[in-house]
Amino acid sequence: MNTIVALSTPRGRGALAVIRLSGPDAIAIAQRMGLSEIEDRKATLTTLTRPKDNEVLDQVLLTCFRAPHSLTGEDVVEISCHGSPAVVRSVIDTTLELGAVLAGPGEFTLRALSNGKINLAQAEAIRDLIAAQTDAAVKQASRQLNGELSVALGPLKEKLIEAIVVLESALEFVEDDLPAVRVQEIEKELAKVSTGVEKLARTFAAGRLLQEGIKVTITGRPNVGKSSLFNSLIERERAIVTDVPGTTRDTLTEAIDLEGIPVILTDTAGLRKTTDGIETLGMERTRRAMGDSDLVLVVLDGSTELGPSDHDLLSQTENTRRLVVRNKSDLPGFAALSGCINVSARTGEGLTTLRSAILASLHNNGVEDGSLLITNARHYDLLCSTQRELEAARAALREGHSEELVLAPLHNALRFLGQITGETTTEDILSEIFATFCIGK
Amino acid sequence: MSFDEVFDVIVIGAGHAGCEAASASARLGAETGLITLNLDLVGQMSCNPAIGGIAKGHLVREIDALGGIMGRVIDRTGIQFRLLNRSRGPAVQSPRAQADRMRYRAEMRRTLEATSSLHLRQGKVIDFVIDHGKLAGVVLEDGRQFGSQAVVVATGTFLNGLIHTGRRTYSGGRAGEPAAIELSETLKRLGFPVGRLKTGTPPRLDGRTIDWSAFEPQPGDEIPVPFSFSTDSLEQKQIQCYVGYTTEQVHDAIRANLAQSPLYSGKIKGIGPRYCPSIEDKVVKFSDKSRHQLFLEPEGHDTNEVYLNGFSTSLPAELQQDLVRMIPGMEEARVIRPGYAIEYDFVDPRELGPDLQTTRLPGLFHAGQINGTTGYEEAACQGLLAGINAALYTQKRESLRLRREESYIGVLVEDLIKQGVDEPYRIFTSRAEYRLALRYDNADERLEGYGRELGLVGDSDWDRFNARQSRLATLRAALETVRLRRSDARHAAVTALIGGDLGDSISLSQLAKRPKVDAQLIMSLLPAELKPINESDLNSVLADSLYAGYLDTQKAAIAKLYQHDTLKIPRQTAFSTISGLSNEIVERLDRAQPLTFGEARRLPGLTPGALSTLLAYLSAQQKSL
Repeated sequence: MNTIVALSTPRGRGALAVIRLSGPDAIAIAQRMGLSEIEDRKATLTTLTRPKDNEVLDQVLLTCFRAPHSLTGEDVVEISCHGSPAVVRSVIDTTLELGAVLAGPGEFTLRALSNGKINLAQAEAIRDLIAAQTDAAVKQASRQLNGELSVALGPLKEKLIEAIVVLESALEFVEDDLPAVRVQEIEKELAKVSTGVEKLARTFAAGRLLQEGIKVTITGRPNVGKSSLFNSLIERERAIVTDVPGTTRDTLTEAIDLEGIPVILTDTAGLRKTTDGIETLGMERTRRAMGDSDLVLVVLDGSTELGPSDHDLLSQTENTRRLVVRNKSDLPGFAALSGCINVSARTGEGLTTLRSAILASLHNNGVEDGSLLITNARHYDLLCSTQRELEAARAALREGHSEELVLAPLHNALRFLGQITGETTTEDILSEIFATFCIGK
Repeated sequence: MSFDEVFDVIVIGAGHAGCEAASASARLGAETGLITLNLDLVGQMSCNPAIGGIAKGHLVREIDALGGIMGRVIDRTGIQFRLLNRSRGPAVQSPRAQADRMRYRAEMRRTLEATSSLHLRQGKVIDFVIDHGKLAGVVLEDGRQFGSQAVVVATGTFLNGLIHTGRRTYSGGRAGEPAAIELSETLKRLGFPVGRLKTGTPPRLDGRTIDWSAFEPQPGDEIPVPFSFSTDSLEQKQIQCYVGYTTEQVHDAIRANLAQSPLYSGKIKGIGPRYCPSIEDKVVKFSDKSRHQLFLEPEGHDTNEVYLNGFSTSLPAELQQDLVRMIPGMEEARVIRPGYAIEYDFVDPRELGPDLQTTRLPGLFHAGQINGTTGYEEAACQGLLAGINAALYTQKRESLRLRREESYIGVLVEDLIKQGVDEPYRIFTSRAEYRLALRYDNADERLEGYGRELGLVGDSDWDRFNARQSRLATLRAALETVRLRRSDARHAAVTALIGGDLGDSISLSQLAKRPKVDAQLIMSLLPAELKPINESDLNSVLADSLYAGYLDTQKAAIAKLYQHDTLKIPRQTAFSTISGLSNEIVERLDRAQPLTFGEARRLPGLTPGALSTLLAYLSAQQKSL
């Protein structure tokens, strides 16, 4: 087992950089670099030197964490040095000279995983945490890191195992004096497991939106003020706004943070039939962006009559998730309409309402505020598979099939769940059986 | 070195493992010496005079398909036969039989004596002969030395056996028989990790002193199902067994005397099987149960002795007599032999390869209870495998390995050698992931080929097997092609029975999958030219069809989840060099030496993280090739 080292803070210049060492030689290396006394978990001001020529590297704050009470479960040394790339490089080089090895990507997490400091779901959460773009996503990833997913699945898994135990006992210990299997009770318990799994799975849609961001596309015929609206929403000038229709030739995309939810806004070329080659290319992209999005903002010029392009767009988007936005409320001749959001990109009027409406579409997934969201596609897939198997088992039970046909899909379900929470072995089940029933001659 | 006799293979112990081992080895053409302490007790059943049961019956069938002898012997000597789980699916149905204990022994001995190249010898093995580090034979207590290239140790509960009855403890391998102490010392000296297990047995009663009318009779099946594929039908008269119950009075008396039980006084160090608990265990752990079930099993046509199943105990003999008399119907009952507990040595089965050969000393094989299993059938299947491989070893042929996907024997062996045992290992259907594929009725399909290849399955058996396979193929085809049409006379009647629409035309195989459709119905719908149809053939084909879908789903799930199972782990992989594996896990991997990622995944104690690490390592290795 070697000792790994890595820069734990982003590259570049800053006040501080944090370098971490993990492994059997971590503390020894720190000592050779100048740490004299080691007090577990006490940040110590130390002058680091390079042993080969005694050159002073930096004055740092150094903390040791002895195994197993550390991030990785091994001895860990954390060095907070000045955030200059040159200093960082020389500190790391010195550790390499003293026998450390550069950590591979995710290797600290991997060691934490191997030493049981975190489970697989948590490791993935760390990854998600690092990748999280907004506060809310951070919050979700933190919850998973705190084992909430495993905790949420725990009772469901218990119920599943209970059902398995009863059914296995019935078919294996035929000659023993066991209470008769109450099929209806098992059916009820399995229904509860099913409901629980389904509820969790359903949060994936919202969770994915949270992780990746709601994709919102701004569409409308040329010159309704899409780009102005876009700019207002992202709160700075980005799109090129001119009076000539069709100036947004390309799609422009920008991410904004709406109360912690990442929203990816795309401004598109005005949808208009035209023979201009470049224009048509932009419109093709527009159509694709619309198809790809979670929410479409159909922008209309509220100060003029609706034209055929407007009606086309409205009917095209009738069955998609959309918000109809009537822009230019500052102009005379603006007619407010209910069922639409009335805004003025120029003055800012109505924008708050618009932002809230965009967020509301996320909440319309039937997910309660503050609930645990599945953000990981792998987990979603596993939960769906679990659900499928539970359904199969319940069907077999209802049709009065012999226990082994109910158990086959139940065991499959357990395997899928186990991929998230950790596997249940035959021994575990047997132990449960013998603890529950008096068996044996 | 001078040997009194020289064999190719020596088998130590003539219990269930030893008899199978010796028989198989001899029939493979190896000159085999079977050495036992007492030739009159060849094939002795130490406790329950019965063969089979759920999952155990499956093992006997597999033994039979491979060419072993247990199935035939029990068919000839069984006195009651029952197919368990008749009301359930075919995959979990399993045969069980009560045996005439004396006749079983006699028949087993007769079978062995009729086997050429098999030489029975009475004696006690106390040591191995090791010549320049190689196994060369065995040393007997009376001074004889036998030479051989391979040795199969099948010593059952005899290694350092210690019998406990109440406060009395004495050395013994079984009641009335001496323990094998020296051999255990030899194994320890050779460096084998030796542990301690225990088991127990109930008292035997004089049947003339029991009031049978107080008990519930349990008859055998009307048409008993044989164990061996070679047995067409069972003609012998069957006996009844009887079911009874203990009472609170019995429980109270036991609880009052726990101090006299070696189990509870801490005298016994070994770990017992969970599924063969003593009556003391039952009463203590499940004190809320007002009664515990008992089975009275007559031991044979020519004896009064009755086995009191469910009352395993090591309480003092006098107390056992008193307790028995508290059971309704047994007020006058007399105990002929008291029950007792026995502790014995076993050797960590992780010392073995899939051929049951020890890695420590080539040519040395271990089979049966010595590997930490419990049960005659578990022992016998190991004996068969070890005996086959011992002979193959001496003939320098490739060994026979059985996989867990194709047999319960494979499940048992892999569990033993990969996981070791914490307590006596008994087979259960739930130990097999592929339970739906491993049925008692398709054991021949799965394994007879191996038996034939080895030479253990004779011509008449092979012909019978092929004839059956051919009949099955015909039936399968018929089920696909024969359809029930709306125009058929029976269509309306069948629709009414099922209570659902069958469509204009449904194949019999599709129809069979519907609930309430049984074999009789299908039989009646098959064309006359196919008849007479063997009911068991039809059941087999229907079972295949029933389970096919489930098996496919399961295979798909497992393939998806465990898609890396077939990834090979190169021999001699230095697990300690894989960054990120804890010392404990490295140790487990070194011991088990898994050959594929799938084997590693099934090792106990391998965390998901460690598995990810291992997988990452193996994938990286693959890429660099």
